Amino acid sequence: MSSPISTADLHDEALLARLRAMVAESPVPEAAISEILQALQKARGYIDDEALQLAATMTGLSPVKVEELCTFYSLLLREPVGIHVMRVCDSIACHMAGAQDILAQARQHCGVEFGEVSRSGKLTVIPHVCIGMCDRAPALMVDDEALGPMDKQALTRLLAQLEADVWKPS
Amino acid sequence: MYVNGVTLKNRGVPDSHKLSVYAGTGGYDALRKVLQEPMAPEQIIAEMKKSALRGRGGAGFPTGLKWSFMPKGVSGTKYLLCNADEGEPGTCKDRDIMRYEPHRLIEGMIIGAYAMGATAGYIFIRGEFIEPINIVEGALAEAYAAGYLGKNILGTNFSFDLYVYRGAGAYICGEETALMEALEGKKGQPRFKPPFPASYGLYGRPTTINNVETFASVPDIITKGGEWFLNLGKPNNGGTKIFSVTGQVQKPGNYEVPMGLPFRELLEMAGGLRPGRQLKAVIPGGTSTAMIAGEVMMDVTMDYDSISKAGSALGAGSVIVMDDSVCMVRTVERIARFYMHESCGQCTPCREGMGWLWRVMHRLENGQGREEDLQLLLDVGSRIEGRTICALADGGVAPVVSSIKLFREEYEYHIEHKRCMISMGEH
Ligand SMILES: NC(=O)C1=CN([C@@H]2O[C@H](COP(=O)(O)OP(=O)(O)OC[C@H]3O[C@@H](n4cnc5c(N)ncnc54)[C@H](O)[C@@H]3O)[C@@H](O)[C@H]2O)C=CC1
Ligand SMILES: Cc1cc2nc3c(=O)[nH]c(=O)nc-3n(C[C@H](O)[C@H](O)[C@H](O)COP(=O)(O)O)c2cc1C
Ligand code: SF4
Ligand code: FES
Repeated sequence: MSSPISTADLHDEALLARLRAMVAESPVPEAAISEILQALQKARGYIDDEALQLAATMTGLSPVKVEELCTFYSLLLREPVGIHVMRVCDSIACHMAGAQDILAQARQHCGVEFGEVSRSGKLTVIPHVCIGMCDRAPALMVDDEALGPMDKQALTRLLAQLEADVWKPS
Repeated sequence: MYVNGVTLKNRGVPDSHKLSVYAGTGGYDALRKVLQEPMAPEQIIAEMKKSALRGRGGAGFPTGLKWSFMPKGVSGTKYLLCNADEGEPGTCKDRDIMRYEPHRLIEGMIIGAYAMGATAGYIFIRGEFIEPINIVEGALAEAYAAGYLGKNILGTNFSFDLYVYRGAGAYICGEETALMEALEGKKGQPRFKPPFPASYGLYGRPTTINNVETFASVPDIITKGGEWFLNLGKPNNGGTKIFSVTGQVQKPGNYEVPMGLPFRELLEMAGGLRPGRQLKAVIPGGTSTAMIAGEVMMDVTMDYDSISKAGSALGAGSVIVMDDSVCMVRTVERIARFYMHESCGQCTPCREGMGWLWRVMHRLENGQGREEDLQLLLDVGSRIEGRTICALADGGVAPVVSSIKLFREEYEYHIEHKRCMISMGEH
């Protein structure tokens, strides 16, 4: 998810080979669908129509079925995202620790609604259910990195780093 | 910070996730004992029964008994699954077993596979757990290289393959049959039970599924005996348990303690409340369990039987502590929203009911509550309970109904004054 929008070429042989291996390792081809979609999303930022079609072809599922799976599973995204995706937990432990303020600050920074690409193109903020960081509430994920506890200062710093392209996962 | 650590014993040891460190502290001795002594599968299951280990995923079903349900003498694939979907808000214990003790989990699964004749297994880890996924995958590679997994394990004719599967994000996939559907590449929607997984599981094959913490308890039960494990805890509540203590405590975190520890001691370990605060209520087992009033909780011990006597459930051991600064209506509104969002939509009472509960809670919170709303919530709740395919819906009803019973006056204040009796920070 950390890569810019639609950079990876879907005809890239290395990517295709990895996807084929996922299918080969599965007891039935469609069982690989979740891994394949997650790999495609990691490469392209989100599941665009072309990626969806490829996933369907490789697993033998109909595109409609794959579309349905994308709707069902909250980690799969069908709309373009910014260079980074930030998922802010809005479940109970984080809520009690001020998640609403974190969400409000992040949204204000982006200047757009949740799920949309920020004006700078750098970020998409999405509220998410509990991410299993309840002992470090309020928590969030940036791409593959879980972070917490967050507060106003820490988030301000993080957002500035993301904007300046200097943020690095640990 | 923890007493008699079993499943998180090596937490704090540098590189505890590595095979070399695990092996250096007796790791894989249990597997050696089982395969080389050898121990018969029935003997292993008898030891598991003696241990009184109960399912750590939340329902507390006796593990030894569950293992004994796997059919013997059937040909073809039998599956062993690990439930590492850990989605219950307030729960983050399996995360730490995977981060610090992945080999303990893997060893427990290999022993389980041997005892039940399983030939293939999956560890279903939620996709949000990137760091744990990477660590478990690394540990699996080490275990294969060392000959603990794959063909002819430790030179015997026992073979077992184990894979990681990453979930794509849905709380319902933690329900065991939904998890199997997801593994098969479908939407994770629960199946009717019975049939239970031992007779119809993954791809319709005999399957056993256990939680991460359940499997991680197995190696020590084998090396030290079921009796030893049982005696760590209480009769019918054997062993240690990890409690994820979160909410308004000074040191939130995972604490592994003997079953039956008084709640007040656990609270103390977690740093206690903030200065000047009173304990208002506790959710003892994750958001799908009923709230218990603070003063009642202070006399409860942390085990399945004691907490169910107090009217709730130990669940996955996710202790959410609420002090007197918490607005109950606002808190429960958030919880209700979670269940509405996560309903898989198969059963009408759940799909419609979770939406109703949230909408009514939402208007109460926003000062638009009506006098009849409390009765409405209780009625909707009673029309959901016990009428759905899986336990998600009952889990969504529990916090609403229990909080109305305990804090009715706070709800009534919201309705009458159109605002909160307790101001929660600046909100
Ligand atoms: N760890 C987490 O993140 C979460 C945990 N939960 C917990 O899950 C619990 C509910 O889980 P369920 O699987 O619906 O409970 P359940 O009582 O239906 O089953 C518990 C286990 O025992 C087995 N079992 C039960 N009765 C059996 C029988 N007669 N024959 C054979 N096997 C039998 C089931 O197959 C299952 O493995 C709740 O108590 C809740 O605390 C809920 C949400 C999330
Ligand atoms: C909605 C729902 C979500 C669940 N989520 C989990 C989970 O994330 N992890 C887990 O181990 N069990 C979860 N369970 C319980 C499982 O269905 C099952 O009881 C458990 O995996 C069995 O393992 P155990 O006997 O070792 O506890 C969930 C149950 C329900 C109804
Ligand atoms: S109770 Fe809810 S979550 Fe469970 S199967 Fe029915 S609709 Fe799905
Ligand atoms: S409640 Fe926010 S991470 Fe669990």
